[in-house]
Amino acid sequence: MSDRIFGAVGLLLALFYAWATLQIEESFMSDAVGPKTFPLGIAAILGLSSIVIFLKPDDEPQWPPLARLAEIAAAVVVMILYAEFLPIAGFVIATAFAAAYLTWRLGSSPLQSVIIGVGTSLGIYVIFHLVLGLSLARGPLGF
Amino acid sequence: MAFNFIRTAVALAGLGLAATPALAESHGGFMPQNPECIAPANPGGGWDFTCRQVGKSLQDQGLIDSTMQVVNLAGGGGGVAFAEVVNKRGDENDLIVAASSATATRLAQGAFPGNSMDQVRWLASIGADYGVIAVAADSEVQTLPELLDQIKADPTSVSVAGGSAVGGWDHLKVLIAADAYGIDDVRSVKYIAFDGGGEAVTQLLAGSVQAFTGDISEAKGFVDSGDIRVIAVLAPERLPGDFADLPTAREQGVDAVGANWRGFYGPAGMSDEAYNGWVEKIATLYASDEWKEIMANNGLAPLDLQGAEFEAFVANSVKQIQDISREIGIIK
Amino acid sequence: MEIFSSLGDGFVIALTWQNLVLAILGCFLGTIMGALPGLGPSNGVAILIPLAFTLGLGPTPSMILLTSVYYGAMYGGRISSILLNIPGDEPAMMTCLDGYPMAQQGRAGEALSLSGVASFVGAFFATWGLIFLAPQLVKFALLFGPAEYFALFALAFATLGGVSSTNQAKSAFAAMLGLGLAVVGVDTQTGVPRLTFGEVHLYDGLDFLVAIVGLFALSEVFIFLEHRHGAADAEGKKIVIGRLTPSFSVLKACTPTMLRSSLLGFVAGVLPGAGASLGSFISYSMEKRLVDRKGTFGKGDPRGVAAPEAGNNAAAGGALVPMLALGVPGSGTTAVLLAVLLSLNITPGPLLFQNNPDVVWGLIAALFIANFILLAMNIPMVGLFTRVLMVPPRILMPVVAMVSFVGIYGISGSSFDLLVMIAFGVMGWVLRKLDVPLVPVILGTLLGNTMENNLRRAVTISNGDYGTLIDSPLSIGLWTVAIVGFVLPIFVGRVVKARMHARRDTEGSLSD
Repeated sequence: MSDRIFGAVGLLLALFYAWATLQIEESFMSDAVGPKTFPLGIAAILGLSSIVIFLKPDDEPQWPPLARLAEIAAAVVVMILYAEFLPIAGFVIATAFAAAYLTWRLGSSPLQSVIIGVGTSLGIYVIFHLVLGLSLARGPLGF
Repeated sequence: MAFNFIRTAVALAGLGLAATPALAESHGGFMPQNPECIAPANPGGGWDFTCRQVGKSLQDQGLIDSTMQVVNLAGGGGGVAFAEVVNKRGDENDLIVAASSATATRLAQGAFPGNSMDQVRWLASIGADYGVIAVAADSEVQTLPELLDQIKADPTSVSVAGGSAVGGWDHLKVLIAADAYGIDDVRSVKYIAFDGGGEAVTQLLAGSVQAFTGDISEAKGFVDSGDIRVIAVLAPERLPGDFADLPTAREQGVDAVGANWRGFYGPAGMSDEAYNGWVEKIATLYASDEWKEIMANNGLAPLDLQGAEFEAFVANSVKQIQDISREIGIIK
Repeated sequence: MEIFSSLGDGFVIALTWQNLVLAILGCFLGTIMGALPGLGPSNGVAILIPLAFTLGLGPTPSMILLTSVYYGAMYGGRISSILLNIPGDEPAMMTCLDGYPMAQQGRAGEALSLSGVASFVGAFFATWGLIFLAPQLVKFALLFGPAEYFALFALAFATLGGVSSTNQAKSAFAAMLGLGLAVVGVDTQTGVPRLTFGEVHLYDGLDFLVAIVGLFALSEVFIFLEHRHGAADAEGKKIVIGRLTPSFSVLKACTPTMLRSSLLGFVAGVLPGAGASLGSFISYSMEKRLVDRKGTFGKGDPRGVAAPEAGNNAAAGGALVPMLALGVPGSGTTAVLLAVLLSLNITPGPLLFQNNPDVVWGLIAALFIANFILLAMNIPMVGLFTRVLMVPPRILMPVVAMVSFVGIYGISGSSFDLLVMIAFGVMGWVLRKLDVPLVPVILGTLLGNTMENNLRRAVTISNGDYGTLIDSPLSIGLWTVAIVGFVLPIFVGRVVKARMHARRDTEGSLSD
């Protein structure tokens, strides 16, 4: 069943891709092939392979129960928040929070999680910023 | 997107934070903390050369404290970098971007969607690089008119390779020459775009294409080794030094001149202090003997324009290219 | 012989205390950067350029430092592939396929040291190749026009099927997904934006590093979240490290593999635009075709670790050929190295060997030195690396996730890239659940643009005649291999699939 849904979604994706390709505005001069040919070819093979997947599905994969899916969704939300707040809160603080959350959800006790989160954040800061000299997001406190 | 709101908030917060230290530093000469130069193409091409060479020379002469970080941001003939500076990094003081006639060309043709030259601040020029048209050393073609005759007789028989996209400056140079030689439909000239001059020269050596259009600095290594033959320099008169042997297009009866000036622009929101600081640094660099030597080694001809003068020059050059493009029929 | 005296001069230049210290430093930093997901050789070299300039190093010491970083990163990428199933950089992607299963079977130490030896062999032969064959190889590279490049990339995609999945349709789907993502951005041929939906961040396309870190590293985190059934479980199974060095019989079995892969990888590296990823990919897929009679590749076969590692390190050496001899970078990293040479007032190109022999031979000697240092550094450190496995996943995985974020953010400074990476992470998780291989997605994003541009160049040169794609003996040869590689597994596939299913069932009951 999963593969049938996957195939159907893939086919829709291929159709969308082809539609989006046709929206490309060509410029005043074009080469012999043009900017649309290659993506259209991709869309065609994408669609074909989706049809094959739909017609000849593999064995059903083992999907996690709903609670586990919610767990993953929550992790995704935390990561998105992390990405958005990184430039505001600064690297060390944002990273400590995100790392602590993930550690906690992977089964550490809350106290342990906080310690590991802060440790991870500081450790990465030292290696990437102080040793390798990458510029990381600077927060209101300067780190 | 739902996160646009958050992102705007982030940007505003960033502005507020950045403003405070900037004000505090406003006494004394401008010195960029993290000088950064965007080269809007892959490493190895002209813009990249501009960034690296200027970055290194500025540091050698003590004009900047820390190493210039060169970021390659290729794509869209410089349009990607231009959009990045206009839209995302409009208020940075430490950022300069390498530019050239190619930038002006794209701006003139409206090829940076929604962008125009007054959205950035033009800093200064560091010289001009004259265009060359070259063939492989074993080609039968000896002169520019011979090549243009071939194109005239059968445009499909000659593929010309260059490092810019279709309609870009490398492309225009051939078109200008073809136009000057009296080829009516210059659009029929077959031009193949590669990712930078280096790749285009390689394909000339490989025999995939018959001619190369680019800048003299891109071709220098291969001219010295005798792998390619420059059949025309698009300069008003012969260049000095090593390049004196190369014939100009003009002396072969093709009145085509194509100077690829090189220079820098910065974000529009750059403070006046930073703007003047950069202009002054580049001017000092330009005047140094070290830079003269670099120019001589790399086939750069003099072009000494800074600040407002440079801004006016770019505006003029944009207009000129617009006229050429219209005449040739590339834009309406 | 003249070459040996030149090489001797090179060693005289390279073997000073300062240069040796630089080489050791470069190897060490390179190994770390290679092992960290998100930081690959090209970023690693770029990050250390300021260091070279700040120290005020001359051309030769600078190149020694930076090439040591380059080789170090090529070595380092395998470490996280084997231990975590997360490639440290893009060429190490193929090492995951057999390296991680080996680690799961308690052979992590063996896989690490074997891959170290394979890396050494690949790099060692590539350096000799660079010395003796550079001029001839340049001529070979010049046989590749746009049409031949297109055929070469088609070959890579055609042989994908058998490599990472037995379901050809899913491999094709994954490859097209990757290629489709590569199209996003401003079209280099005409300058029009494609599939960007007006989003400026997408104008310069999707960075494949963002894709690789998202697909591999973040999806791994999600898998762990999914499988945590309680605190006790997350403490992990009993980890067995096993022996730290491969047995003589394993080394012996892998020797032909390493030699063949070194050759293939080197050739792939010499071709500008193909690079190390293609080198390791082709080495792996060819080796699988040649010696995988029992279907053990992908299940922890030592040869499946040796092949891509020898291949990608040989390709790293090969990529220096066009850079030095033509001034044309064959990969992201050599592009950065080229830029360094240019800013040091040295013009790579046909005359480099004559004009700056000190730089060239010093560099080549440095490559040998770096290679030996890396071998000496890596084998004793295997025990240390494997300690990573002792860290319980509940601590290790958040660290991996955070390092991935930092690697991407530190280079691009863009939250948008992080969001794209998270999207890739979710996509990677779903694709893994559906048994869709991830390697073709990465290969597609990596090679998509070059593939399309070469197609368009070739057809434009021939005035719109698509026949040009099969016009030269070389392209016909490449297409033949591609078609055979594509058709063969479809017939053989069923048999293998049935066999693999049987195998999976028995193994599943053991490990779960």
